[in-house]
Amino acid sequence: MIDPVRTEIIRCALVQAAEDMNTTLIRSSYTPVIYEGKDCAVALLDRDHNVLGQSSGLPIFLGNLEVCSRETELRHGPDVWREGDIWLLNDSYIGGTHLNDVTVYGPIFAGGELAGFAASRAHWIDVGSKDPGGSMDSTSIFQEGLRLGPVKAYEGGRPLRDLHEVIAANVRFPHATLGDLRAQVSCVMMGQRRLTEIISRWGLETVLAARDEIFAQTERMERAAIAALPDGVYQAGGHLDNDGIDLGTPLPVNVTITVSGESMRVDLTDCADQALGPVNCGAAQAVAAVRVGYKLLVSGDVPLNGGSFRPLTVETRPGSMLAARSPAACQYYYSHLGLLIDLVVKALAPVMPDRVAAASYGDSMIVQFCGTDPRTGKPYVSQEATVGGWGAWDGGDGETCLINNVNGSLRDMPIEVLETLFPVRVTRYETRHGSGGAGRWRGGDGVVREYEFCADVSLSLWFERSVTPAWGLAGGEAGAPPRVILNPGGAGERHVLKVNALPVRAGDVLRCETGGGGGYGPPAHHPVSEAAGPIPSARHRAPGG
Amino acid sequence: MSYRVAMDIGGTFTDVVCYDEKTGTVVAAKASTTPHDLAEGVFAALARVVEDPADIAYFVHGTTQGLNALLERKGARVLLLAGAGAGDVYHIARGNRDRMFDLRYRKPEPLVPREDVMEIGGRLDWRGHELVPLDERSVRRAARRARDEGFDAVAVCLLFAHADPAHELRAGEILREELGDEVMIVLSHQVSREWREYERTSSAVLEAYTGPVVRRYLAEVERRFAERGLTVPVHVMQSSGGLVNAAYARRRPLRTLLSGPVGGTMGGVAAARLLGRRNVICVDMGGTSFDVSLVVDGRPDVSAEARIEGHPVLMPIVNLHTIGAGGGSLAYAEAGALRVGPESAGAVPGPACYGRGGTRPTVTDANVVLGRVDPAWFAGGLMDLDVDAAGVAVAALADEVGLDPLSLAEGVCAVANAKMAQAIRTLTVEHGVEPRDFALVAFGGAGAMHAAFIARELGVSEVVIPRFPGAFSAWGMLEADVRRDLTHPYFRQQDALDGADMAGRFAALAAEALDALAEQGVPADRRRVEHAVDMRYEGQDYTLTIPLRAAGEPAGPGFLPEISARFAEAHTGRYGHATPEAAVEFVMLRSTGLGSFPRAAAGVPAAHGEAAPAVRDVIFDGAAHATPVLRRAALDGELTGPAIVVEETATTVIPPGCLAVVDDNGFLIVKVDQ
Repeated sequence: MIDPVRTEIIRCALVQAAEDMNTTLIRSSYTPVIYEGKDCAVALLDRDHNVLGQSSGLPIFLGNLEVCSRETELRHGPDVWREGDIWLLNDSYIGGTHLNDVTVYGPIFAGGELAGFAASRAHWIDVGSKDPGGSMDSTSIFQEGLRLGPVKAYEGGRPLRDLHEVIAANVRFPHATLGDLRAQVSCVMMGQRRLTEIISRWGLETVLAARDEIFAQTERMERAAIAALPDGVYQAGGHLDNDGIDLGTPLPVNVTITVSGESMRVDLTDCADQALGPVNCGAAQAVAAVRVGYKLLVSGDVPLNGGSFRPLTVETRPGSMLAARSPAACQYYYSHLGLLIDLVVKALAPVMPDRVAAASYGDSMIVQFCGTDPRTGKPYVSQEATVGGWGAWDGGDGETCLINNVNGSLRDMPIEVLETLFPVRVTRYETRHGSGGAGRWRGGDGVVREYEFCADVSLSLWFERSVTPAWGLAGGEAGAPPRVILNPGGAGERHVLKVNALPVRAGDVLRCETGGGGGYGPPAHHPVSEAAGPIPSARHRAPGG
Repeated sequence: MSYRVAMDIGGTFTDVVCYDEKTGTVVAAKASTTPHDLAEGVFAALARVVEDPADIAYFVHGTTQGLNALLERKGARVLLLAGAGAGDVYHIARGNRDRMFDLRYRKPEPLVPREDVMEIGGRLDWRGHELVPLDERSVRRAARRARDEGFDAVAVCLLFAHADPAHELRAGEILREELGDEVMIVLSHQVSREWREYERTSSAVLEAYTGPVVRRYLAEVERRFAERGLTVPVHVMQSSGGLVNAAYARRRPLRTLLSGPVGGTMGGVAAARLLGRRNVICVDMGGTSFDVSLVVDGRPDVSAEARIEGHPVLMPIVNLHTIGAGGGSLAYAEAGALRVGPESAGAVPGPACYGRGGTRPTVTDANVVLGRVDPAWFAGGLMDLDVDAAGVAVAALADEVGLDPLSLAEGVCAVANAKMAQAIRTLTVEHGVEPRDFALVAFGGAGAMHAAFIARELGVSEVVIPRFPGAFSAWGMLEADVRRDLTHPYFRQQDALDGADMAGRFAALAAEALDALAEQGVPADRRRVEHAVDMRYEGQDYTLTIPLRAAGEPAGPGFLPEISARFAEAHTGRYGHATPEAAVEFVMLRSTGLGSFPRAAAGVPAAHGEAAPAVRDVIFDGAAHATPVLRRAALDGELTGPAIVVEETATTVIPPGCLAVVDDNGFLIVKVDQ
């Protein structure tokens, strides 16, 4: 029996160790998608692959980094781990996400014995897919780039040249990519150092006893939170617009949540079969998305560790869009995950009115263009996710122009940075007034972001949630769906939502409008005006006024 | 004319330190802050240390006037002018969330409502070349609105003003013509020459929001000096840790926003110099917060940007990391676990031992139960300590988690110490340095009580408790240099580098910096300018600031390989790896003008001995130790722990196994056993 003082000190040390890993990764990465977009996550794991500490830039990387070391051990046996070795994996069907998400991980030894693992996942700007930065119309994993792992990247503390050469020869930006790999390795080494320090200070036995107690505490807190919900079956459903290939066929996603005593079961089997287009994910990622919804509602303040999610089971159907098998395309693995998170919230709304909010504008809203910059003669890729409106709740309007759940703490690209780096101009960046859903409490508004291209570019877009726009709750109305117009008002005006590698000319204008959030409560006293023009900022208005 | 006076105006108390140039002695005193009229408190505090204000030769202070206006949302009414199509940039605020699991997220409350933003026509491209001329009529329309509606300030932020400020300058001229001198006009490029329109807008807005308040206050202080027939040059501490005179502070009031707390870090810089150390951790622990900052290689750890109350500001600012672990941090049980902080009991009700109705145990209560707080010396004797209430609060929690009260009290301190130590370690990670190479300088009311324990956690072997720990920030201001930071955006990839051109830019910056120091009244032989360039590998975002040997260095042969090598070395130090073969790019030129005034010489009064110190039982490692309670002024020779050293503003705990000694500078040095 370990006392609560040592347990708490060790818990704080493990949490801080993960923060140190994250700091190391973000500060030493080469590409904006990591240091600016925070498209990364780190975890410190115990010998049994349970999370000791985790720090995540993206919520959807929540608690699923452990699948990498676990799978490696399943394949190669428990004796595979050697001190100084570092492994790498990006297989979509194991890690659950797209090939761009590369997990780098290594064992941690203390006194010659395996004590745990450190893992870092980061989005690589390019992994050699058929289009730079990733395709929006891929139909198999083999079009999406280099698929690796589990493979060793370092042996005995030294980089393995062969693998590095394979990577360098297969990606479009080898310098930045290998730089990011090194940043991830530094991060893993930081985790190794921290856990070794903790163990050498307290002794392995004490650390393990503290771990068991920490996990038990977390599990107790989560079980108590679920036990407070009425038993029952709660459901919600919606549609993904399409798979990016067959634009006319919406794909259903349904969630059934069974609360029974102090445990919760989430059934995801009732969803579309794995699609031709790149909207599939591995089961690990569907589980992670459910965990995000669970964390938003059930266990927001509970520390995240190996005791987390024990009362939660998630069922997926192999061969479905949420548990895809090879060779399903997975590049846009996250569109339905954002939907899934919102659906978990919607399903539980009747029993958790004090925690939920109406749906948000959706996810991704990706604007990607690439080409050769005439100013430098160098190739480039620009990729941005766009902000939008969030859902209202009982007591508050939804926030306006905020990044979606899936993209975590991503910041938008400043106009001054974007125009300096790429041949483009941003001519408008403003609130899309009136796009939030009406209600006693209004949904937040989306954004208008308008580009004028200064060179010929290849344009790809991924705008979602037009079939199931952000719904309201308790009688609130839905937010406006997204709208994207190429050359608005011009001769070649064209409405689009998803395109891949569309050739666009210098001088062409692209206007992107993201959706608003759903409203909350009936809008009787709160009329919504579609007229353009500023309305008072939502949070200053009195309810019902 | 012989006194040099420094003053740190805090929320509750004003600390003042006075150095007598004739006798070489230093005295410190405390006065109540007078929030309704800070200038009144300034003169009350002066009266405590100086008989005749005519003897003041030099006056420096840190003021919280601007920060208070921000915290209390009592700043100026600001009209914001933005470029066409970019009027929502300030409210979109980059659209990010800093809490991930929150469906009801709110961005930081903007200081300017959307209806007070006006767009004005005109546009530059990424190089600063004009695409659309400035629409002067729209500027005049805005000026009319500012006048008609009585705005206190107008902030202007136009796209790419960092590359070419011509449009902003012209807009400023028009506004000045229309509005006269009463309304404050802030142009974003004058606040910061860095890219990123939201951050620059936010900086300009913050300057406009706090500026009029700071200006009024400085005018009042100078007026009162003048009333007494004095022409004392009034200096103000900047967030960068450097001083400027009041005239400059009026022009760039934003730079004084974190004026007060930064004094502690500059005290750390001065302490490092006196101790002959390069690296120092500064720990300022008060009732509710715990601020950590670093001195690395003898310099304060200064960032080019920070976030204050959620609002980004682009200006040189000493990195102060606030951790929710002070004396007031609450301890509580959760699912069988013991937690300490970050929630604080605050000033009201405060810790149970304050006797103001607090019933939940805090770190301070734990210290009381352990006997580490001497009731007679608590809060400078200004407050009665309710020892029983602390005992009751601690016992209740002890019962809940199944520990005896003394073990719990020690445990609460241990958890708080561990959290503080971990936070410090994370800071050092960002710098690629190890804490064990540092000395720990502890100050503030509670810093010295925990310092030795935190040092042990970090493997730090030396703790330094300065004289007047409660007034250390004021002392630090007395020791600081005048500082003016100049920047020039200089975006060049390495193959486009023209060394002679860069050297020419630096020469111009150097001349400007020397002029700025002259304007600050720094004598010619005490002016110096340091140069540095922000660099990164092509494609990286974060830059490293690489010092140059001289302004002319870039013109020399072999500059590129030389600076690239230095950059790679710095990169390895910071990140643990480098790519020597990779191309670098240059982002920003920085020149810093520094002017030093004569330092206060160390004058330490002789110890006057103490016949029979009080002895009390204090708990260390679960056992009661008979521990002498010594007055700091009486310390003489080496001291072996356990011991408690008390003085007006602080209590130092020296655990068993540690040695303490007062050095020639009057620092109490604690050697911590590991």
